Amino acid sequence: MNKSILKAVVILLLLSGLLAIPRYVESPYALHMMILLFLSVMMGQSWNILGGYAGQHSVGHAAYFGVGAYTTMMLMHTKQIAPWIGVWAGMALVIVVALAIGSICFRLRGPYFVLASIAVAEILRLSAINLTTLTNGAEGILATELPAFKIGGTIVTDFLTKVPFYYIGLFLVVLTIGITYLVQHSKLGYFFQAIREDQDAAHSLGISISFYKNIALVISAVLTSLAGSFYGIYVGFVDPPTVLGLDVSVQIMLICIIGGMGTLWGPVLGSLVLVPLSEALRSNMITEGLVKIGLVNADSKIGLFLKENLSHAHVLLYGILVVVVILFMPDGLMGFIKQMATRRKQEAV
Amino acid sequence: MAILEIKNVSKFFGGLAANSDVSFSVEEGTIMGLIGPNGAGKTTLFNCITGYYPPSKGEIFFDGKRMNGLDPDKVCMLGMVRTWQKVRPLAKLSVVDNVMVGALARTSSLKVARELAMEQIKVVRMEHRADFIAGGLPIGERKKLEVARALATQPKLLLLDEVMGGLNPAESEEIIQLILDIKKRGLTQMVIEHDMKAIMRISDRIVVLTSGEKLMEGSPQEVVSNPDVISAYLGEAHA
Amino acid sequence: MAVFMQSLISGILIGGVYALIGIGLTLIFGVMRVINFAHGDILMVGMYLTYIIFTMLGIDPFVSVLITFPLMFLFGGFLQKVFINRVLNALAQNQILLTIGLGLIMSNTVMLIFTSDYKILTTSYSSASIQVGGGVSVSTPLLISFLITAAITAALYWFLLKTDTGQAIRATAQDRDAAQLMGINVKRMSIIAFGLGSALAGTAGALISPTYYIFPQVGGVFTLKAFVITVLGGMGSVVGATLGGILIGITESMSAVYISSGWKDVVVFVLFLLVLLFKPSGLMGKSRT
Repeated sequence: MNKSILKAVVILLLLSGLLAIPRYVESPYALHMMILLFLSVMMGQSWNILGGYAGQHSVGHAAYFGVGAYTTMMLMHTKQIAPWIGVWAGMALVIVVALAIGSICFRLRGPYFVLASIAVAEILRLSAINLTTLTNGAEGILATELPAFKIGGTIVTDFLTKVPFYYIGLFLVVLTIGITYLVQHSKLGYFFQAIREDQDAAHSLGISISFYKNIALVISAVLTSLAGSFYGIYVGFVDPPTVLGLDVSVQIMLICIIGGMGTLWGPVLGSLVLVPLSEALRSNMITEGLVKIGLVNADSKIGLFLKENLSHAHVLLYGILVVVVILFMPDGLMGFIKQMATRRKQEAV
Repeated sequence: MAILEIKNVSKFFGGLAANSDVSFSVEEGTIMGLIGPNGAGKTTLFNCITGYYPPSKGEIFFDGKRMNGLDPDKVCMLGMVRTWQKVRPLAKLSVVDNVMVGALARTSSLKVARELAMEQIKVVRMEHRADFIAGGLPIGERKKLEVARALATQPKLLLLDEVMGGLNPAESEEIIQLILDIKKRGLTQMVIEHDMKAIMRISDRIVVLTSGEKLMEGSPQEVVSNPDVISAYLGEAHA
Repeated sequence: MAVFMQSLISGILIGGVYALIGIGLTLIFGVMRVINFAHGDILMVGMYLTYIIFTMLGIDPFVSVLITFPLMFLFGGFLQKVFINRVLNALAQNQILLTIGLGLIMSNTVMLIFTSDYKILTTSYSSASIQVGGGVSVSTPLLISFLITAAITAALYWFLLKTDTGQAIRATAQDRDAAQLMGINVKRMSIIAFGLGSALAGTAGALISPTYYIFPQVGGVFTLKAFVITVLGGMGSVVGATLGGILIGITESMSAVYISSGWKDVVVFVLFLLVLLFKPSGLMGKSRT
């Protein structure tokens, strides 16, 4: 019992710290990093419900991310519908899409499910490219002008700084983690995990496999679409490859794999590793660091090469991370930490 | 009163008959033994009864309801649950969580489910293992976990598929006592077993299958004294 | 009619190359039960290899196949020995993820070296074509690549059916454990199979390099197509992959003509989903239960 009180205290402290950050940190870049981190946690955690808990490894989550992002952006761009209303349309549409995908993909198991999930996401990406009147095709949709958010005539925020986005992001992260927590500590969580561990055994114990898989999918898809909408509004631009591409699906999955699938804090841990690392590469921080500590001469051939190219290398890093994690810690960082902890316990005994 | 009635059930895979024209019924509160040499179609019959395959021909009635074509989860909810010859623990979950999954078929409250699960864990005498991860248990305890998890769904009929397979004599004896305990509580059971001595001790009636067909049905005494059974089953097994 | 014949013929010609890609994937799957998500990226490596040989040594892409094939074989064998071999008994999703990771490493390493610019390999015959009458013409590079494909496929069939190693590979594909008991060096067969699969993908890359843009991300499309082809033909079936490749080639070129080129890949994926739903064992595969 004490342990759970301690946990609650730590979480509350953490949360109040996060709430306070914009008061003391003014750097837009720092806030931007935090928002990226929130986004990553949301994406990973949403996938986690279907992939980590229910064991259905979708490699097509870009479909839900993209549908959420596109719906909100399209409504805002062409019909001037405020994004906080468009988000709901996105989620409603995603439920329809998810159930359609579920009815196709859940008849298949293992690798066939993975292949089908990719195919569906690709169909949506190609449709977004080709349905030019609806989606503006490969050019994408640019809509950076957000209407001010008013409650009863008073302006709450006009979205001119990153602060409102920070708080929205934080709220969404708390929401996603909260929902995952509730799922984990309910009948749903038990049934999802039973399906993951052994579908036939679960079936024999009275669990309707297709019903619960679809429940997991819908929860996961709606949250992913929410993340997609938030991404679209925050960045102000969507196009087929950045929200519907296979890279997006892989990245979503990666967050969980690195952190640890089927654990509440895995996606958080995964994001804490992935986001800073890829940002450091993107912004050339690593090259500058190497130059500073004197390992590389800035004007040497290597220095110039690194400066020129390392910023494109964040996807390469994803690849290396996946390979390393799969080969050496298939249960992710959370699994690795747990293993270490039990080993230490055993040594203490 | 018969709780389970199997009427002329056949199951074909391609042109091969895994079961053909099998009929028998199981009386409430009794233990029905199902024996036969390897490949006699015992597990296939279990799969047909519990909804994993629809029977190709014939009908299955449970508790007065026609079961043909019902999915395994519906079958379980109606009160018929099976264990697996090759055990299927939910490997990454703890013992109590495994049994809770079964209990959650009857309740939505985790608290109630946990209590129900602990009851069944006591029945199979695994209290000391409750928080162990199921994947790491030895085979004897995994078999008992299967039984506890099935019991947690509060069935009227329990189908046990070779729960003693691969166990040492002491462990088998424990399972025999467990099955007899369960019978005392009034639960009907149908048991597939290879160990003839064990099946003779626990069964009220026995159905003998050979190459998918019912060879005979009778009391354990009648089965052991039937020359056909001896040649078809015992003869082969002890050759 | 001329339009129909034209698109049928180009469909068959490009289908030959697809068959090569599909056979490579199905061979790997057959022997190791691993779905290789890096297949398209291996093809991409083959394209760049051909490009380097062409620009630095001036060797024609259709001739340099003789160099590309063995090099890609070694590359594939290396991948198997160092990476894939470690996850042969792991969960299917871990195998998939590992190959996705390897693919990302390949495409992004290539991007670091060559940047993400589109490269074009222009030969004297790149845009040449031959009139075959009735208003139907055949692209010369496609025709040559089809002939080479046919030769390689024939050689592969001969290898699998007639040589000892080929038979050992087929035995391993049929039943890995039994093959091991019969004294077949299963590990070696796996390396050969992955090597061969990679060599076929790399060769396909070489053969399309005169007619395709060369860029680091080109592999993704081909990975997906390779899946469609192998699933269509039945996972693990070499004959199925050959037919599947041709069928996908025809479907693509027909839908490009009669629907629109933007939607041709959508048609292919929809076809893929339909096959997965209604005949998951593939057109040539036996259903397993």
